[in-house]
Amino acid sequence: MDKINDLDLEDLNYQLPRRHRTEELAKLANSTKFTRKEIQLIYRGFKQECPTGLVDEDNFKAIFSQFFPQGDASQYAHYVFNTIKQGQNNGKIGFEDFLNILSRVSRGTVQEKLQWIFGLYDLNGDGLITQAEMLDVVNSIYDMLGRNTEPQVETTSAKEHVEKIFHQIDTNKDGVVTIEELVDWCLQDEKIVQSLEMLDTVL
Amino acid sequence: MASVAAWLPFARAAAIGWVPIATHPLPPPPISKDRRKSEDEKLLINVSGRRFETWRNTLEKYPDTLLGSNEREFFYDEDSKQYFFDRDPDIFRHILNYYRTGKLHYPKHECLTSYEEELAFFGILSDVIGDCCFEDYKDRKRENSERLMDDKLSENGDNQNLQQLTNIRQKMWRSFENPHTSTSALVFYYVTGFFIAVSVMANVIETVSCGIKPGRSGTLPCGERYKIVFFCLDTACVMIFTAEYLLRLFAAPDRCKFMRSVMSIIDVVAIMPYYIGLGITDNDDVSGAFVTLRVFRVFRIFKFSRHSQGLRILGYTLKSCASELGFLVFSLAMAIIIFATVMFYAEKNVEGTNFTSIPAAFWYTIVTMTTLGYGDMVPKTIAGKIVGGVCSLSGVLVIALPVPVIVSNFSRIYHQNQRADKRKAQRKARLARIRIAKASSGAAFVSKKKAAEARLAAQESGLEVDENYREEDIFELQHHHLLRCLEKTTDREFVEMEVPYNGQPKRPGSPSPMASPTHSTASNTGLLQACCGRCCGQRYQSIPFLATSPGKDKVVLVYQDKIEVRTKKQHHRGATPDTGGQEEEMNDVRSASEAVSRASLNQAAKPNSTTSTASVVVNLPSSYPASEVLDGSGTGPHQHPPPPPQQQQAEAPADGKQQSVVRISTL
Repeated sequence: MDKINDLDLEDLNYQLPRRHRTEELAKLANSTKFTRKEIQLIYRGFKQECPTGLVDEDNFKAIFSQFFPQGDASQYAHYVFNTIKQGQNNGKIGFEDFLNILSRVSRGTVQEKLQWIFGLYDLNGDGLITQAEMLDVVNSIYDMLGRNTEPQVETTSAKEHVEKIFHQIDTNKDGVVTIEELVDWCLQDEKIVQSLEMLDTVL
Repeated sequence: MASVAAWLPFARAAAIGWVPIATHPLPPPPISKDRRKSEDEKLLINVSGRRFETWRNTLEKYPDTLLGSNEREFFYDEDSKQYFFDRDPDIFRHILNYYRTGKLHYPKHECLTSYEEELAFFGILSDVIGDCCFEDYKDRKRENSERLMDDKLSENGDNQNLQQLTNIRQKMWRSFENPHTSTSALVFYYVTGFFIAVSVMANVIETVSCGIKPGRSGTLPCGERYKIVFFCLDTACVMIFTAEYLLRLFAAPDRCKFMRSVMSIIDVVAIMPYYIGLGITDNDDVSGAFVTLRVFRVFRIFKFSRHSQGLRILGYTLKSCASELGFLVFSLAMAIIIFATVMFYAEKNVEGTNFTSIPAAFWYTIVTMTTLGYGDMVPKTIAGKIVGGVCSLSGVLVIALPVPVIVSNFSRIYHQNQRADKRKAQRKARLARIRIAKASSGAAFVSKKKAAEARLAAQESGLEVDENYREEDIFELQHHHLLRCLEKTTDREFVEMEVPYNGQPKRPGSPSPMASPTHSTASNTGLLQACCGRCCGQRYQSIPFLATSPGKDKVVLVYQDKIEVRTKKQHHRGATPDTGGQEEEMNDVRSASEAVSRASLNQAAKPNSTTSTASVVVNLPSSYPASEVLDGSGTGPHQHPPPPPQQQQAEAPADGKQQSVVRISTL
């Protein structure tokens, strides 16, 4: 309700809007573990959702939430987003970064996968996972369930879950989990190693 | 929802983060790596001769619309291998763009009714029209309101704050600010309004002459004659106003800010004279001042601005038009000074002239410029008359210039205010509807997932599969698998929620619907067919359950290493004769499951421990009946299979409806 003359902000902006250029298909096919056809499919979907070729965090959260219709996936999406290095695109991820992570995590070696998992849980990036950090991540996982589950999710469910698990992973009982402890924990259980292989996708 | 299918690989990859903390190991993926689906295919859509092509995945982004669901199969033309719609191709372009970009636009040149018909045909809610076109759409719709059934506008007036207010202060403040929130607030509002009116009228009538002063010349004003009456009236009004002011002060969230606000200053000014008058004794020296104070009582009339929005807007307009008003005043002042000076010097030499000084001429100039012309001061010289004429002409011009600006400002602000309220209410309703639609499609997805799992189980056990059912989309399957992994990680499972007609999703009641373990009723009708009528015109994918012909009931048991399906003969259905010894099988089922109680599910299973038996009981909903039937067979929350007679009993009410609930539980 003011009488301010809104100058057209576009006219004041002297920067030329740059179009983000994605890497070439052949290069991507070489550097990742996907075939050309698969990359094509993934890229089409990527570009459809993000016409500019860059995903920012809100966009990412919205897309991620579509896969979990009953719960709230935004917090977990936030943690996942943070594991993808954002390079020079100021908070947005481009297709190369996206595809790199995808290739490493879904088709990489067990070591690569565990490294990514560690990065996911280590929220402040100091190389150690504290119980509080794990609790945050586990809370976000439980948020994805939503309200319609059997048995219902209580506010303490995540806490109990973490308390059970954390002590088992933290073998030297120093209150933090290092990457070695996590790797040992996962490797010593055959089922966990198997589970890591269950989440690849056929395109 | 099989939307954004190309992002599914990433979502699944991100799910690796759950693995270290998973309570149970993750289930194997539905498709082995060898089996690859053919590429995503393009669909051909022919709309009245104009051909459109798009990927299948694009259409399946929105599964509860016609194009995204199985309903489009009705329009499939076998001979030309395309989908034919006999509808308007121009409007279809926008509809298809909605699938492609996620934004629905409204073309301004199209007729509103025909557009709405197309939207209704293709099952798209008009709420998803993008913000860029929504205003226009709504305006057009409002214009058409006589012809259309316009019940959306009746959701107006939703300014009520539904948040829970914790303490009495907040409640009081809210009822002061918004009189329509409760009856007592409304009563208070009207009472104060009434007393303001009474007080103002009393002030006015006080000065009317009521007769002759006894023993003196001159008339007696009513205030003097009925001094006591007026005093009592005034006291009562002031009491009310004081009480109101104190209550507002108490309830205000920010007292300093409240005390500085205009309305509270008006309140104070309205009641102060009375208290000051009480304090001052009836002394002749100060009674003059006292009388002056009474003037301030007239400010009570401004208290009406709380009651009238128009008055508030007028005040706001004047405030916002301050610069125009300032210009008006300034130019008037300039003109007055100029003309007064000239008039003075022109009339100076006339004898007995009224124009004794320049300030005296100011009065003449003002009266002339505003075209009042009292005639108490009149120029007598020719030069004076000429100047007077010019003065009145220019007065008209100077005053007429800023007025339209002020008027248009007022009009703009007033209409904006009206529209803003209405828009706020509409937006809330819109968002609520979109949220409900989203919730119900989420529920539909979960049901579909469970149906798919049951189908898979049935398939793997080697039962006949209904070949008419088309192959499950590869992305759907993997999406289901992803959700199953989430269930396994957190040791929970998704249940369908009820979405009854009023749109509020609620859970099935606490006697959980898993009492009866066994009847997975096959039905040819779609999974959620009965839902369509109930749930606000939402559409769901109809998932024809395939496993067997109707009437056969099975128990599907999934052990950790194998899956068994046992058939159970239903007495009151013509069951196909199957394996003999069904009774024993039933008993087996019963004993096996009794042995493992549900309670163990709640125990934290260590990720490493292997449970001896994992018993999975799969029931399938074939319809979405009322909630009471859904929980109908609730024999306590977590009990596992009740003995058959109870089962029969439980099924009897469900007979006509063929309902059951999908439960997949691991023990």
